[in-house]
Amino acid sequence: MSGETPFAHGIGGAADLPISPSLAIAGAVAALVVSFTVLAVAWRAPRYDEETSGRLAWAGLDTLVGSTGFRAALRTFGLVVFAYAATVAVFGEDLLTNPFFGIFYVWWWVGLVPLSLFLGPVWKAISPVRTINLVFARLSGSDPEIGVFTYPRWLGHWPAALGLFAFVWMELVYPFMTELGPVRLWAAIYVAVMLVGGALFGNTFYEHADPFEVYSSLVAKLSVWGWRDGHLLVRSPLANLDTVVVRPGLVAVLAVLFGSTAFDSFRDSSDWVQYIQSTETSSYLLNNLMLLAFCVGTGLVFAAGSMLTGVTAETSRWSLPDKFAHSIVPIVVGYIVAHYLTYLVEFGQRTLIQASDPFSNGADILGTGDWSVNYWLSYHPTLLANVKVVAVVVGHVLGVVAAHDRAIKLLPRRHQLTGQLSLLLAMVAFTVGGLYLLFAA
Amino acid sequence: MRRLVATVAILVTTVGLASGCGEDAPVSDAGTIETIDITFEAGSVTPNGERIEVAAGQPVDLVVKADEPGEIHVHSEPEQQFAYAAGTTTIKLVIDQPGVVEVESHDLEQVIVQLEVS
Repeated sequence: MSGETPFAHGIGGAADLPISPSLAIAGAVAALVVSFTVLAVAWRAPRYDEETSGRLAWAGLDTLVGSTGFRAALRTFGLVVFAYAATVAVFGEDLLTNPFFGIFYVWWWVGLVPLSLFLGPVWKAISPVRTINLVFARLSGSDPEIGVFTYPRWLGHWPAALGLFAFVWMELVYPFMTELGPVRLWAAIYVAVMLVGGALFGNTFYEHADPFEVYSSLVAKLSVWGWRDGHLLVRSPLANLDTVVVRPGLVAVLAVLFGSTAFDSFRDSSDWVQYIQSTETSSYLLNNLMLLAFCVGTGLVFAAGSMLTGVTAETSRWSLPDKFAHSIVPIVVGYIVAHYLTYLVEFGQRTLIQASDPFSNGADILGTGDWSVNYWLSYHPTLLANVKVVAVVVGHVLGVVAAHDRAIKLLPRRHQLTGQLSLLLAMVAFTVGGLYLLFAA
Repeated sequence: MRRLVATVAILVTTVGLASGCGEDAPVSDAGTIETIDITFEAGSVTPNGERIEVAAGQPVDLVVKADEPGEIHVHSEPEQQFAYAAGTTTIKLVIDQPGVVEVESHDLEQVIVQLEVS
């Protein structure tokens, strides 16, 4: 028996049913066919150019979004939710009915994804750590953009990848993930690191190293909203995706997001549960190792896939994984939609209900306390399974197209098609692997 | 680009149709009782995390044979807890909401079975 550490049980109750084998196979076949269709029929000259893509958004909207009042309102909203979360974290009861858990694991972690997908870089606009840094800068008469030091270029998104890993470790492996003390400590360390980082390096720190801002801003590249020369743009998500800034550690960020989500499916599979419960080895250790293996494995498969090509003299082979990394953003987002949709819809509602009773004493401050969770989605498992597979396949298609455009921009002419093959295989592996886990777990 | 969009549209439709036709029939009769034998002995429990398919709304009997009293948690929506005594206890369950529901012993930190309710 390996029962020396408590069970890492999520805040959720039931999990989604597995998708049917026929659906998984249909999705996998679609992904394969699309991949090679794109390769065969797609354009041969790069289409996406950050300098010219998109068109100006409607002037009224542009003025609104650019106005100080609008920005201040968003910052205020972020600060109010932050203050609420901090209050229930410090003064709330250590019970699962404390809304802090739902705010932390559901609204913050999962809710940011659809918000960013539809509205753009949401966390950047509401981030309370950015707001606090801004207030300090105003008070001291300095510029929030500039810190004491220049953020080192080589560091890139690595701190964000580490922060995201720390989050998924907390969510998926740490045995006390539903106890108030440790979750509160995690959040406090996050805020502390962000404030110190902001003071040292200015706002650049948030853009590079805040795990939530990096995540949210990457997902926002799949929205239709862009920004150029101080004006709001409307762009196709593919053109928008092409504007992802290539920085060191970008692959690591995406590998953690994809690998951890895959691990979350995997750890609930009956085979894995039976294995860790019957081995003498600590299940805590095994889960730790497996989470790490999923993340590192994802990164290595992608790196190998993007590097196995001929390159021009001026492009370093080692720079290719980060230069192609934007193309797995849609694959990650598609898979996250498939994995977290029910969780977000149902536990998001439950959190809203719980939020009305912050101190678990029967209060109803928001008037949502007597609402009940709508489980419509769970009662329509066929529809749900279809939505999941369509999300995964659409993500795959966008990813393949994005990689194709980047390949014809970067690779020497005679390697433009063959050079994409290995990357295509890596993407097919992610998509089919993701579908397999949706089917088997 | 048009061709691409068209290709994608066709494929997505294919996925939809394929899955629509491939819907599985319910695995077991909703009327019959699914009986699951659970044995607690000397700090261990069988079964060990196996998956068992049941129909939504089908009655499930957990027949617990135990050498000491304890508690079983059913992670359905909402969660349910059942105490059992030393000896044999039958716990009656009905789960209406489709999904995978873990039946656990929190004392042993073990998943006993995963009920695949469909």
